[in-house]
Amino acid sequence: MSVHVLIVEDSVLVTDALRTLLEATDHRVTTASGVAAAVASIERDPPDVMLLDLGLGDGNGLLVLERLAAASVACPATIAVTGSDAPEIREACRAAGCVDVLLKPVPSAILRARIAAAAPSRG
Amino acid sequence: MSRATTDESALQQRVAALEAQLHEQSRQTSELKNQDALKTQFLANISHDLRTPLTAVITHAEILRDGILGPISDRQRESIVGIIGGGRQLLEMVGEILTYARGAANQLSLSRSQFAVEAVIDQVCEMSESLVARKEHSLTVDLRRGLPRLYADREKLTHVLSNLLGNAIDFTPPGGRVWIAARLADSTERGGGGGQAVLFEVGDSGIGIAPEHHEFVFREFAQVDASSSRIHHGTGLGLAITRKFVELHDGRIWVESVVHAGSRFFFTIPVRPAPEG
Repeated sequence: MSVHVLIVEDSVLVTDALRTLLEATDHRVTTASGVAAAVASIERDPPDVMLLDLGLGDGNGLLVLERLAAASVACPATIAVTGSDAPEIREACRAAGCVDVLLKPVPSAILRARIAAAAPSRG
Repeated sequence: MSRATTDESALQQRVAALEAQLHEQSRQTSELKNQDALKTQFLANISHDLRTPLTAVITHAEILRDGILGPISDRQRESIVGIIGGGRQLLEMVGEILTYARGAANQLSLSRSQFAVEAVIDQVCEMSESLVARKEHSLTVDLRRGLPRLYADREKLTHVLSNLLGNAIDFTPPGGRVWIAARLADSTERGGGGGQAVLFEVGDSGIGIAPEHHEFVFREFAQVDASSSRIHHGTGLGLAITRKFVELHDGRIWVESVVHAGSRFFFTIPVRPAPEG
């Protein structure tokens, strides 16, 4: 069974590139372009892994995790994908519960490996 | 009207004029500072925004290169590898501008951990392996025994060494020598604050730098050869960022160089104990 990945990203260009990569490598992909849309998508169709951009149009991506916690909705394994390698951003992602933090642009092979590592194993 | 009263009135007028001038200069300084801050913010924003389309370009190119959408010929692969290489180089330059902008706004901080100097130097040499091989340079490493572990920002130190080694390779003709050395030194050398420091040296037998440019190369946007036909391209921020990273550690950086004989870049990273627990 393929891994379900939710791409949370406000750039259509980047979303399309990631969708092409992941769908062609046997992942099921859903997308959301903002914080509210991501929360709604997770409630409706929980993914195995969420790729979370931090700079979203309607707020910081980490707000998605905060809102899920407030609504007592289970949080998917989350990989933050950020344009900044500042240590404080990395630390904030870890503190918010991200299992991994990757710097854009993530080489495609590394992205697939990290998604596989983050996806909950299906026994 | 007495002479004294006239003098006093003239003096008051002069003081008022000077005060007005001072006020105007202060206003202009404040405006220039605001404009400078705006420019820095613009640089940070544009650098960040440039990463997004570049990410899409590189990801699509990697999908094609890896044959994920179907097989490609060797010549097509070569061309796609060129797109990825160009994209990544552009991305590095954008990253440099972003780092510079954050440094100018005093938004850079250190993320310290404890590590061995040898590990960082090995990592940097490994990263430069293909460049060294391409230019048929001999790369040597001279590490003195018993170097203490550093409690510093490993990522930034790696950046400093990579930048200096990259420059050494870039500015040395094929077949030349490049080297990295590290030893324990007194950090009072070159005006340090005292105590022990690790003194790093990155050297080459390359084209060298004229004495009048020894300070200039560390300035933002500095290019010793500023002509549009220059061989070595870049943002001109590499050494300025390198100096910033060294100074964030309370270290010092300097260069000794002779034109046509080579350059030796030195920097210190003070040794400090890691917090307990």
